[in-house]
Amino acid sequence: MIEKQTRFNQSVYDCLFLVAANALKGSSPLGAGLVQASRSLHTTSQSLAPVPSLPEKGGKVRHGIFPEEIFQLLYPKTGVTGPYMLGTGLLLYMLSKEIYVINHETIAALSIGTVIVYGVKKFGPDVAAFADKLNQDKVAKAQEVKDLAMTSLSQAIEEEKKEQWRAEGRSLLFDAKKNNVAMLLETNYRERLHMVTHEVKRRLDYQVALQDLNRRMEQEHMVNWVEKSVVGSITPQQEKESIAKCISDLKALAKSTQAMA
Amino acid sequence: MAGRRIALKAIDWVAFAERVPPNQRSMFNALKTRSDAIAAKLASLPESPTTIDWSHYRAAVARAGMVDEFEKKFKALQIPQPVDTQTSAITAQEAESNKSASAYIEGSTARIAQYEQQLDKFKNMIPFDQMTVDDLNDTFPETKLDKVKHPYWPHKPIAEL
Repeated sequence: MIEKQTRFNQSVYDCLFLVAANALKGSSPLGAGLVQASRSLHTTSQSLAPVPSLPEKGGKVRHGIFPEEIFQLLYPKTGVTGPYMLGTGLLLYMLSKEIYVINHETIAALSIGTVIVYGVKKFGPDVAAFADKLNQDKVAKAQEVKDLAMTSLSQAIEEEKKEQWRAEGRSLLFDAKKNNVAMLLETNYRERLHMVTHEVKRRLDYQVALQDLNRRMEQEHMVNWVEKSVVGSITPQQEKESIAKCISDLKALAKSTQAMA
Repeated sequence: MAGRRIALKAIDWVAFAERVPPNQRSMFNALKTRSDAIAAKLASLPESPTTIDWSHYRAAVARAGMVDEFEKKFKALQIPQPVDTQTSAITAQEAESNKSASAYIEGSTARIAQYEQQLDKFKNMIPFDQMTVDDLNDTFPETKLDKVKHPYWPHKPIAEL
């Protein structure tokens, strides 16, 4: 983060340097006066902040050297051709009076001037575009950093708020815990109740079952005893008599069935 | 001897689940399963036990005073409520968590204020193409070149260019 900052800083510094350079390239002393005519440099101690922005392009010039203001100055009096007439007159005056002497330097100046003008006309726009692009890239990078910082800050704020909201829900946890404890206690209590009832019932049922068992055993024993005594009380005499009776009964029965059939 | 009605707070598990941060989700799931198990167990037990039909037993059991004795003792029996050992611990935990939560919220608010301050600084900044070097140094103090420490251009160690 720190090295990004410093690189950003130096890039901004560089871009500002370039901006200053670009602005200075285009402006001539009179041209810059368009915007800041009323403000003179370093004369007052007041700071005129915010600093008004530098003009985008330099002052307008005709034929690369002559500021437009001269033409505008002379237009009311002499019309459109006035400044040109003035220029021609001045040139002829200087040549004829030999205020400007034609010598070898003149040829050199003309040739060099031609080459320079040709070069600037041909390659000027490309170079300007290139420099502008360099500048724009630096500003764009700075802007990107700024946007990233802003989004990350707002995101951080959102997340902090969300965490605060989360922390507010802590009472739910403790409610749940208390509920659990209460439920466990209640379960325990009910289990105890059930156990008591169950045990009492078991004991009573045991008594009842015991009684039933006793009764049944008495009954069986009595029945067996009665049977045994009855069987024992049958004397041999009685047995013979009963057998004879049975035989006679059977005979009678056989006769009756034979008679029927 | 009937069961008593306990004061159970209805918990909104859905809202609870929303507030759980992702790193505590497993603990929340464990708590939920445990709570559900306890609640299910509670629901499975009927509130009051089955009543004993004393008249039937009085008729059935031959021994004279036994049923009456049982009945008397049964009715007189008080089952003690189970002792609550944990609620105080839970309340203490809650108080502590409240304290730490308020401390955290305080810190969080301070952080939010800091972030907002920085955000405002960025929002109210002059656009980059209208800044001078002095404006830049004011907005981002780290860009200021230390001309005392490095008196010669470029006023910073070559390695940082």
